[in-house]
Amino acid sequence: MTDRITLVLNGSPVALPPDTSPTTTLLDWLRGPAGLCGTKEGCAEGDCGACTVVLEGPDGGRAPVNACLVLLGQVHGCAVRTVEGLRGPDGAPHPVQRALAEADATQCGFCTPGIAMAAWAHAREGGSVHEALAGNLCRCTGYRPIIEAFAGLEDDGAAPPSLPPVGGATFAAGGQVFHRPASLAELLALRAAHPEALLLAGGTDLGLLVSEGRQRPPAVIHLATVPELGAIAADAGGITLGAAVPYARLLPLLDGSLAPLAGLLARLGSRQIRALGTVGGNLGTASPIGDMLPPLLVLGATLRIASVRGERESGVEDVLLGYRKTTLAPDEVIVSIRLPRPPDGAVLACEKLSRRHDQDISAVGGAFLLRVAGGRVAEARLAFGGLGPMAARARHAEAMLTGALLAPACFADAAEELAQDVAPLSDWRGSAAYRLAAAQGLLRRLYWRVAKPGLPAEVHAL
Amino acid sequence: MNVISDKLHVENNKWIGTRTIRPDGADKVTGRACYAADNVMPGMIWGKVLRSPHAHARIRSIDTSKAEALPGVKAVVTARDIVDFPLDKSVMLGIQDMRWMCRNVMAREKALFHGHPVAAVAAINEEVAAEACRLIEVDYEVLPHVIEIEDAIRPDAPILHDFLTFEDKPSNIAGRMEAKLGDVEAGFAQADVIVERTFRTRPVHQGYIEPQACTVSYAADGRATIWSSSQGQFMVRAMTSLLTGVPQSNIKAIPAEIGGGFGAKTIIYLEPVALLLSKKSGRPVKMVMTRDEVMRATGPTSGSLSTVRIGARRDGTIVAAQGTFYLQAGCLPGSPLRGPVGCSFAPYEIPNVLSVGYDVVSNRSKVAAYRAPGAPLGAYATESVLDELAGKLGIDPLELRLKNSAKPGSKAAYGATFGKVTFEETIEAIRTHEHYRAPLDKTPRPGVKRGRGVASGFWYNAGGESSAQVNITEDGNVLVTTGHPDVGGSRASIANVTAELLGIEHGRVSVQIGDTSSIGFSNLTGGSRVTFASAMVVTQSTEKVITQLRERAARIWKIDPEAVTWENGEARPAGPNAGQFPPLTLTELAAKANEMGGPIGAGVQLNTTGADPGFATHVVDVEVDVDLGIIRVLRYTAAQDVGRALHPSYVEGQIQGGVVQGIGWALSEEYLYDRQGRLDNASFLDYRMPVCSDVPMIEPVMLEIPNPKHPQGVRGVGEAPIVPPLAAIANAVHDALGIRFTSLPMSPPKVVEALEGA
Ligand SMILES: Cc1cc2nc3c(=O)[nH]c(=O)nc-3n(C[C@H](O)[C@H](O)[C@H](O)COP(=O)(O)OP(=O)(O)OC[C@H]3O[C@@H](n4cnc5c(N)ncnc54)[C@H](O)[C@@H]3O)c2cc1C
Ligand code: FES
Ligand code: FES
Repeated sequence: MTDRITLVLNGSPVALPPDTSPTTTLLDWLRGPAGLCGTKEGCAEGDCGACTVVLEGPDGGRAPVNACLVLLGQVHGCAVRTVEGLRGPDGAPHPVQRALAEADATQCGFCTPGIAMAAWAHAREGGSVHEALAGNLCRCTGYRPIIEAFAGLEDDGAAPPSLPPVGGATFAAGGQVFHRPASLAELLALRAAHPEALLLAGGTDLGLLVSEGRQRPPAVIHLATVPELGAIAADAGGITLGAAVPYARLLPLLDGSLAPLAGLLARLGSRQIRALGTVGGNLGTASPIGDMLPPLLVLGATLRIASVRGERESGVEDVLLGYRKTTLAPDEVIVSIRLPRPPDGAVLACEKLSRRHDQDISAVGGAFLLRVAGGRVAEARLAFGGLGPMAARARHAEAMLTGALLAPACFADAAEELAQDVAPLSDWRGSAAYRLAAAQGLLRRLYWRVAKPGLPAEVHAL
Repeated sequence: MNVISDKLHVENNKWIGTRTIRPDGADKVTGRACYAADNVMPGMIWGKVLRSPHAHARIRSIDTSKAEALPGVKAVVTARDIVDFPLDKSVMLGIQDMRWMCRNVMAREKALFHGHPVAAVAAINEEVAAEACRLIEVDYEVLPHVIEIEDAIRPDAPILHDFLTFEDKPSNIAGRMEAKLGDVEAGFAQADVIVERTFRTRPVHQGYIEPQACTVSYAADGRATIWSSSQGQFMVRAMTSLLTGVPQSNIKAIPAEIGGGFGAKTIIYLEPVALLLSKKSGRPVKMVMTRDEVMRATGPTSGSLSTVRIGARRDGTIVAAQGTFYLQAGCLPGSPLRGPVGCSFAPYEIPNVLSVGYDVVSNRSKVAAYRAPGAPLGAYATESVLDELAGKLGIDPLELRLKNSAKPGSKAAYGATFGKVTFEETIEAIRTHEHYRAPLDKTPRPGVKRGRGVASGFWYNAGGESSAQVNITEDGNVLVTTGHPDVGGSRASIANVTAELLGIEHGRVSVQIGDTSSIGFSNLTGGSRVTFASAMVVTQSTEKVITQLRERAARIWKIDPEAVTWENGEARPAGPNAGQFPPLTLTELAAKANEMGGPIGAGVQLNTTGADPGFATHVVDVEVDVDLGIIRVLRYTAAQDVGRALHPSYVEGQIQGGVVQGIGWALSEEYLYDRQGRLDNASFLDYRMPVCSDVPMIEPVMLEIPNPKHPQGVRGVGEAPIVPPLAAIANAVHDALGIRFTSLPMSPPKVVEALEGA
């Protein structure tokens, strides 16, 4: 027995034929069977944004996503809007589209459908224009006319789609199975039964297998419909975050003492990536340059991990095992992450070094939590990514800094000591020497962050 | 002779110079515009290329039998199916040598880079085609490879082509180009100060967002139709004809909307292969490159190794300049030597110049044109040295440029004697600009330094063959057809010109790009020539149409055509002596066309001339994070002589887009190879083109100094903007840090390393 994938496409319900491969990318389906070629493919890897479409939430929210990374099984029960669906009923272009045309924000026009969709989402969601546009490459215009058009956009006030909630489902076609478990128990049972299946959260790492790698995974277990993994709640002590909650839902809760983490998160990928990507996925991938890992390490985040055998709680440090390796057993799933707020009076700094400000993979990431008392560093927690096979605390540098005077020289000493902690690799993102030197730069910079809190929050902010 | 229209100095134009909504704008913002990959045909199948897994290997044999036997496979082609151009005889198509093109489209004797096509398959879907590619057995003899220029020119380097010799020895140096003026050594002898430095740049990709794509249908009668994304449907026709042996008259090349090219789509990769697959299979074949294929196997622009030496008297007079430019051609000859050799010193009046370029092959994909091909890397070297020279002489860098700028009558080393020169105007525009005069706080925060830099640039610009047809429809509207794919808004400019000349509402003019069977030969969209050349042929066509309209009115009124004028979209009697008649509008004349002499319309085909060179001067402020090596561009102002901006937004767009590409080149973009000679960063995720937050709002300063040789005064604008940024940014970084970067990109690792060494 297989369920059918249903979705609302440009306002109209669609049920896909039962033989549809559930791991077809949304982009391939739109441009192929759906006959909607307005959405473009520039890279099939989530970086150019030419394939941007919008997921319309029942609450009116608009999430731009890269159709090249999204699998059909993922959008079951979702409302998808493409550039073709932006036109008014009379066929006239939407005001957002008119604004782009009038600003001469299109030259070759290949990026334009994706930019129109990003614009339509931005008109409702607001936020900074740079942030809204970071996921859309344009090679022709130099961006200026696009930025000008974005600055004047207004929400069209269109009503949200009515989306009947869909329960769990299983899509089977052509030798592939795509599970959407509806409860934690169901998820854990499936996981135990199919340890070889791909565990899919947002798919911004896994989607590349299908999109760019052209693979056809035989079994997928999708996490987004499990209530425990999709819940998020903030309290005075911190945030409890379901492992499958997309970054975009976490971002607005990162206020007060967690604001520096928001500054970093706003640079993780692009809006499109943050609409799908999850902290659970960042942990699951366990890349040494996963941006979330250093902050989780210094904040002392704990993970709730479950399997049919029971539950356990674990610190992030105990889960990271090596280069893209975790201690998760094949039947285990991360359910949620507890993100404590920094203790009162502590300073949190989150850094990311990359060639581009936005939409880039880090060469080096760093997170620092410092408590200062009486002109001295009372406690220092320092964690880095990109300086070894996995993100890790820098214990030697921490020891050097703990108890030290709040003075540039002491931070410089800690920076020297950092060489004891790390064993960076050389690759084209940066040589080992550069990575170490840059990380040391971040530590020296930390002095100014603490001593002069007025400094711009990001290293390359104006 | 080109007509010089009296419209040239007319002020108060109604359409020319206004920001009308571009004709293709609505289709582009609504997703309706049809790009090559959007084309679908009944019965269509999918083509896929098998590529070499080695950087350098002799192909001993290819066995395609297993692939052919796979169900769903409809055709397989290898180099044997492509027309061979023997190595001993050059056959040129424009600047492309078909000996190299045939080997670039499909490896023949050897696979010359990782990603070089060795065979192609057409099958019922992409999966089967990919599977069939895996079943093709290629017997390779792996050879040592060479990637970098320094290694390729060493005496013991692996030789790519045994038929290439340099100074009578087998060599990877495929050619040499020289531009010379006076006697450099005698010139340097007169110099009080000489600066010499060596610079390196890496290949960078054009980075168009639309991958190459085409659909080709070869019919049983031997006629082929090609839909593809290119910078010239006539180039597609000619090159496909040469490589497949199908006569040009049997090929119709239809230009799809093009999703960016920046020069790279002036050559083809897929079309001949798809045609042969279609011919063998009897089905239309579609081929679309992946981003990986685009990065790995379509041409970036050359990397370079340049040494520039400039000598001046103490008063700042430059007396001699010498440049030696080694350019990476990729695996087959054909670097854009003309760029650095000719452009580097052209903005300056220098009595003694020796500028030499070498074309160096190595195991990389063959380079393709990229916006002002080769000129930016030359200007990077020259304009950096000038900056240093200005420092040594204690002269303001803009003063030094002004003092030595080319003037009317100056002779450039590449051979031209300049007529009108508008270089000084661009320098003055920057010197008097608020940006240049604004104070710059050089140490705004701890760990951060700022600097300001200037640089100039030159590009030849081009005329060449263009065709246009202007037809009046029966209902009195206007249809203009030209033969150039529109990459940057040329349809918008042409609509403005036509509406202006005819004196009608802009909305009544439609502009389309004709296919090769519906419009006369038109050369490539490239060389900054399209607006220049097509405005010229459209102007002449429209003037002919106006003559016809006057004749029709004269016939109706039974007066002499000379006694009829055309004003504001109407024919009127020319003065009281001509008679008293109510004016006849375009619509009225169109309605009566058939009874009064037949359809109204005219076409012009011309080899256009008079495209004078373009000059640009830029100023930029940068900020360097000295702990982290991050460089940010804070402010950027670009002055350029644009002749006449037919549609200002698209002129600004060219300047802004070109500068941002230059910023990427200077700071973050580069081709990186691993030890096996494989490109390491063949994706947008890893090849770092600027996103919006990496660049400031580029401020263009358009100097409208009409080109007297063009009816509207147009001068090419598309390429000059990418010439100065590399040096301007490097000069600004020098101003901030006192460190001169002689190697691009100035990526954070390189900056940190330089700061540690300083
Ligand atoms: C264009 C682009 C830009 C990017 N930019 C960044 C960036 O700036 N910084 C950065 O850190 N990353 C970046 N990434 C990588 C990716 O977005 C992040 O790692 C993201 O956090 C992955 O989350 P996801 O939910 O999409 O993971 P998925 O792809 O769904 O899963 C990733 C892995 O985690 C496992 N997993 C997921 N959830 C769980 C769970 N609950 N329990 C156990 N295992 C689980 C999966 O099985 C899989 O192995 C980028 C990716 C793209 C395509
Ligand atoms: S196609 Fe480039 S992001 Fe999807
Ligand atoms: S308009 Fe060409 S890529 Fe944006």
